[in-house]
Amino acid sequence: MRPFKYTGAQNKDQALQAFTATSHYLGGGTNLVDLMKEDVERPDQLIDINNLDYKKITSNDKGGLTLGAMLSNSETANHPEVRTNYPLLSMAMLSAATAQIRNMASNGGNLLQRTRCPYFFEVSMPCNKREPGSGCGALNGMNALHAIFGYSDSCIATNPSDMCVALAAIGATVEVQQTDGSSRMIVFTDLHRLPGDRPEKDTTLMQGELITAIHLPKPEFSDHYYYLKIRERSSYAFALVSVAAGLQVKSGVITKVGLAMGGVAHIPWKLTKAEGFLAGKKPTSENFKAAAALEMKDAKPFEANTYKVEMGKNAIVRALTQAYEREV
Amino acid sequence: MLERLPKHMKEKYKPISKIKIMTKTTNASGVGTAINRVEGHLKVMGKAKYASEFPVENKVYGQGINSTIAKGEIISIDTSKAEKLDGVLKIITYKNAEKLKDFDKEMTPIATDTIAPVLQSNKVHYYGEYVGLVVAETFEQAQYAASLVKFEYKKDPSAVIDFEKSKSKAYTPDNGTNYSRGNMEQGLSEADVVVEQTYNTPIEHHHPMELHAVIASWDNGKVTAYSSQQIVEDAKIAISSTFQIPKKDVRVISAFVGGGFGSKLNLDRHVIMGVMASKMVGRPVQVTVTRTQMFTNTNMRQQNEQKMRVGAKKDGTLTALSHETLSHTATNQEYQEPCGMVSKMLYKVPNNEVTYKLIPMNIQVPFAMRAPGEATGSFALESAMDEMAWKLKMDPLEFRIKNDTQTDLHENRPFSSRLLVECLRIGADKFGWKDRKSEPRTNKKGNWLIGYGVSAASRNSPYQKTYSKVILKLDEDKVFATIQMDATDIGTGSYTIIAQTASEYLKIPVEQVSVELGDSDFPITPGSGGSWGAASYCNGARAACENAIKTLKNNRNIKEEEDITVSELLKKNQLTKFEAEGMAEPSAEFEKYSVFSFGANFCEVWVDKDTGMYRIEKMVNVASAGKILNPKTAYGQIIGGLTMGVGMVMAEQTHVEPNFGNFITRSFADYHVPVNLDMANIDVIFLPEEDKVANKMGIKGIGELGITSVAASIANAIFNATGKRMRSLPITPEKLIVAGLEPGITA
Ligand SMILES: Cc1cc2nc3c(=O)[nH]c(=O)nc-3n(C[C@H](O)[C@H](O)[C@H](O)COP(=O)(O)OP(=O)(O)OC[C@H]3O[C@@H](n4cnc5c(N)ncnc54)[C@H](O)[C@@H]3O)c2cc1C
Ligand code: SF4
Repeated sequence: MRPFKYTGAQNKDQALQAFTATSHYLGGGTNLVDLMKEDVERPDQLIDINNLDYKKITSNDKGGLTLGAMLSNSETANHPEVRTNYPLLSMAMLSAATAQIRNMASNGGNLLQRTRCPYFFEVSMPCNKREPGSGCGALNGMNALHAIFGYSDSCIATNPSDMCVALAAIGATVEVQQTDGSSRMIVFTDLHRLPGDRPEKDTTLMQGELITAIHLPKPEFSDHYYYLKIRERSSYAFALVSVAAGLQVKSGVITKVGLAMGGVAHIPWKLTKAEGFLAGKKPTSENFKAAAALEMKDAKPFEANTYKVEMGKNAIVRALTQAYEREV
Repeated sequence: MLERLPKHMKEKYKPISKIKIMTKTTNASGVGTAINRVEGHLKVMGKAKYASEFPVENKVYGQGINSTIAKGEIISIDTSKAEKLDGVLKIITYKNAEKLKDFDKEMTPIATDTIAPVLQSNKVHYYGEYVGLVVAETFEQAQYAASLVKFEYKKDPSAVIDFEKSKSKAYTPDNGTNYSRGNMEQGLSEADVVVEQTYNTPIEHHHPMELHAVIASWDNGKVTAYSSQQIVEDAKIAISSTFQIPKKDVRVISAFVGGGFGSKLNLDRHVIMGVMASKMVGRPVQVTVTRTQMFTNTNMRQQNEQKMRVGAKKDGTLTALSHETLSHTATNQEYQEPCGMVSKMLYKVPNNEVTYKLIPMNIQVPFAMRAPGEATGSFALESAMDEMAWKLKMDPLEFRIKNDTQTDLHENRPFSSRLLVECLRIGADKFGWKDRKSEPRTNKKGNWLIGYGVSAASRNSPYQKTYSKVILKLDEDKVFATIQMDATDIGTGSYTIIAQTASEYLKIPVEQVSVELGDSDFPITPGSGGSWGAASYCNGARAACENAIKTLKNNRNIKEEEDITVSELLKKNQLTKFEAEGMAEPSAEFEKYSVFSFGANFCEVWVDKDTGMYRIEKMVNVASAGKILNPKTAYGQIIGGLTMGVGMVMAEQTHVEPNFGNFITRSFADYHVPVNLDMANIDVIFLPEEDKVANKMGIKGIGELGITSVAASIANAIFNATGKRMRSLPITPEKLIVAGLEPGITA
């Protein structure tokens, strides 16, 4: 590992002041430190933000919950109010990684974890995301785990987070602090960006912006929810494809849908077409199938990840079915 | 219970499936009892020292640097930045490395004692080959400096890195393993039904938990290496012949080994680099291989494409069986996994052919990984057998039993003992095989498709010449014994079973026995590997104990058959300390038989109809593996084997990047091994077996039997559940979701 300076910040001002262009905030370090060991991330300074006071879960004025950015994934997912009112989020978060990693991982860090594309991890290989202009190794290489939606010739990587898929389905807002002391709100689906010709930029955050909180809207999917994660083993594996499905059903009709997919794009992939299609319809398997088909017809797989189309279709139908049939 | 077994079998082979764990034993601690590991408390307290943990004074750290091209030449090396760093002592590359013994042939077969030349030229043979070593005061300094050494390469575009595209380059290895009996084509023409299918298995890595590591000291031409090895004697030979120094000047110590699975059978090049660096800097040097380097620098199981042709009569009699394996090796070192071995001996088939071909590729040399040949070969054979049973509309269990043989048709000699049929029958009974629905996709529960699968297992039980020494000390009335041998305990339980052997033959409680292993200054053993450890070690220890008693009796003219305690014997000899050596080796009788362990694995698999995910609900494994020295450690071996087999089926695979030739699978985040949740309810049953041909103690191997039958039994269960034949490992959701149904099966 390269030598770096470690700065322990005690409050947000210290953190923001210490920030320089070659700094990184240090959350749980479960992603950042791994990448530093691989020589992928090469910060000159780590600003440890674990002592910052963003460790609470509070009620917000939208009738929802606000999750502190520095709370661990475990504390968040296991919090009684999250479990009761946002079981979809809890389920997605608990499907990720292992108990040990979830204990370390912070909510802020989870949103910013980087892709698991193997070319990104190996510094002797070309990768536009790691080294702009070096080429995309995966494009004509091994891309069985890569995107089927929204990619560009510069990058075909996927976002690996489970938590983000649920947040996209639920419709969250992210609060960030800027280095000049002001703060702003970012609609969750605007936080991550498609690769375009700048795949090195995963998000729309500006330099030095610090995530402080995640605001959740009032709970809508606490009765009908399911997070389906398809993977190679029962735990401790990233999703090949995942679906977060939340439904609100009143008098046999779907009144609200939250639907997003993981493992298919550079961002948590919000299924807006399917959401639109299902709203006002009956929760039948025909409708679920039609919604899935509507989304998946736009998929542009590579030879090695063609399976994601069939898998994705099945996963959407299954997640919706499980969400609907869940015993209330 | 056991109702389907013929009467004589029921009485004879009442399975031992209950494990009694004895703690605080006094005299009931001999062979066959389920005592706890004698070294367990050391491990729990962190006092068992693994190679990199020895407190060697003044030691420094070496960090290997890996090539980043698959084939070509180094044209320049810039060490200037690295050299300026604090703590850096030496940067070793081909330019300043010690001259070592190099291969004198273009293609050298790899063996457990093969030399390991490194940093000898600017040529690169594969991606990840060591091209340098940085030595520094601290580990962190060495690692950072290593990242700053810049190599410039001239790439050779003729690198062979794509298995699929390089098949025309395959050659037949000149090692005498191609085999045939009868006439294959005639056998096929006599068949009513023929199965012809190809089965693929990927590159896999051993990945023991303990990283390969060495602390090496060069002291006036004398070498001491604390190194994680399975066979210390062969490591010693490899070091002495690579450096061309006398064997007596090399000492290798592997007191505890955190798993090997074959990857620590031979000497890897980091050990040579460590010794060389110590010679060059004049201080002991520790080199620990990183997890990513474990992929490129510590061998692997190679990719195999196995083509099977099976012919059978309508009544299920096999008429022909051929097993062709296409695989790969390094461009300068040759290894060929004996995948076809099982097909030569497992069933009664008159016409049989086994062939091998290898593609020399620019990736590291493969070498034996747990049950080399059987683990992969049995996947092909036992899948093909299942396919045949399906075509014949026969119960796959009965089909196997029908083709059982008590003669090894390959060697044309009897098996010393073979209880395969008993394994299958007893396993079927315990598992509930009679409830199996023979038609796929008919056993359903909610979103699950349920299937049952079976496969047979066999594993050669080699047994080799072993020396050992016993030191007896009398303290008041108690005799304390120490056994010394250069054997290794790679996590298997060698310490424990050797202690139990001494307890048995000296008739003293196991608490009075201590066992010292893994030092090449101790008497020579064949080490751990190939399932020969337990039989060799215990018989070696037995021989030393028997010798001690015999000599003590002879000295005092006591009749051999007289029952007298060892403490009485020492007193009669007026001795408080006595040492004896012993040696055990295969008898002349042994050579007249084929000695194998046998087993059967049954499993129940639940496949999700939509997602391609599946879970293994239940497994029953029956093993007939000679004398079970300690049911607890034996159980551990089978469970470990089964788990590794589940890994083989569900997820384990290393991908070679087709444009660059590197492994893009480079950590445990992407090299998936099973997690606890993946594991089923497992029942392990050992059949009591007396096999005095195998060796005096009747021990056969067990370390590799467990992994052998797993893959096919799961694949067969998946077929039974879904109607999909999965002929390529691992069987992942990606593959299952796009796989089609077999002809004749409807959704
Ligand atoms: C082996 C393994 C398996 C895993 N499996 C899964 C899985 O199945 N599903 C899944 O979703 N995840 C998985 N993870 C990823 C894990 O969830 C992330 O590593 C974790 O959430 C990151 O959180 P952290 O606090 O450790 O982030 P860090 O590693 O500390 O930081 C990540 C990035 O975010 C930045 N950052 C951190 N906090 C803030 C903040 N408040 N404001 C601004 N920037 C910030 C850091 O500078 C850094 O760039 C796995 C990880 C590992 C190692
Ligand atoms: S897909 Fe993106 S992350 Fe992967 S190699 Fe291409 S540019 Fe890099």
